[in-house]
Amino acid sequence: MDVPGREASDEELAARAAAGDDPAFESLVRRYQARVYRLACRMTGAERDAPDVVQEAFLQAYRGLARFRGESKFSTWLYRIATNAALMLRRSHARSPTEPLEEYLPEFDGDGRHRSSAADIGLATRADELIDRKHLAASAHAAIERLPDLYREPFVLRDLEEMDTAEVAQVLGLEPATVRQRVHRARLMLRGYLNHLVAVKS
Amino acid sequence: MSESMVCRSGVELLMDYFEGTLPADVRSRLDRHVAGCPRCQAFVASYRATPQILREATVASLPGELEASLLRFLRDNR
Repeated sequence: MDVPGREASDEELAARAAAGDDPAFESLVRRYQARVYRLACRMTGAERDAPDVVQEAFLQAYRGLARFRGESKFSTWLYRIATNAALMLRRSHARSPTEPLEEYLPEFDGDGRHRSSAADIGLATRADELIDRKHLAASAHAAIERLPDLYREPFVLRDLEEMDTAEVAQVLGLEPATVRQRVHRARLMLRGYLNHLVAVKS
Repeated sequence: MSESMVCRSGVELLMDYFEGTLPADVRSRLDRHVAGCPRCQAFVASYRATPQILREATVASLPGELEASLLRFLRDNR
C-alpha cells in the first residue's frame, strides 16, 4: 500500500507489477525510460537505434518480471536487459567491421618511457574546449562504436553511466577485476583517440 | 616488483590507483614516479579527463514523443 508522501521503491513497484498491477509497471517505465534511452544511445552509437532498444528492453522486463527475485537491485536487472537488447540490435545490423582503436594505445620507448612530449600527451585534456560540440559528439559516438563489445559494455556502464565497478560486474556477470581491466583498456584507447582528434584539429 | 617504476608499468596501474585497489606501497611508488615525471603527469590528467569528456559529449535526452509511443507499444504487446 502506498504511504502518503513516500514514493514506492523500484522493488515495491516491481513486485506489484509482477502481480499484475500494470500502472505500477508504467511507473517504472516513467522512472527509467530516460536512463535506458541514454544507455541505448551510448551502447548503439546512434540515436536512431535507441527507441527500438528501449522498447525491447521494457517489453522483456515486463515479460520477465516473474523472474525478478530481488536478488539484485531492480535497476541492475533492468540495465542487464537493456545492455543485452543493445547488443542484440547491434548484431542484427551486422555492421561492417570498423577499424580497431588499438593504434591509439600509449607508446613507450625501449626503456618503458612515454615516447611523446608532455604537451602532446596532454592534448586530450582540452578536447572539450578545442573541438566544437557537434563534432565532438559525433566523434565520441563513433569512437565508442569502434570499441570491441568486450570493452564497450563495461566502459559505457562504468564511465558514462557512472555505475560503480561492483554493479557493472553484476550487470555483465564479470569479476570486478575483469571490469577494471577492460575499462582501463577502453580508457587508454579513447584517451589516445581524443589526443589524435585534438592533434588533427590544431 | 622492483623499487623503481617506469612510465609503462605506471600506466598499467592507473585504473586500480583511482579505484583505490592498489596496495599502499605500490601506490606510493607510483606517486613518487608521477611526481618526478611531467609526461606521466600529463598522461594522468588526460586519462582522468577522458571519461568526463566522453560522458558530456554523449548525453542524450529522451525525445518527448517517445514516452507516449513507448507506453502505447507496451500496452499493445503485453
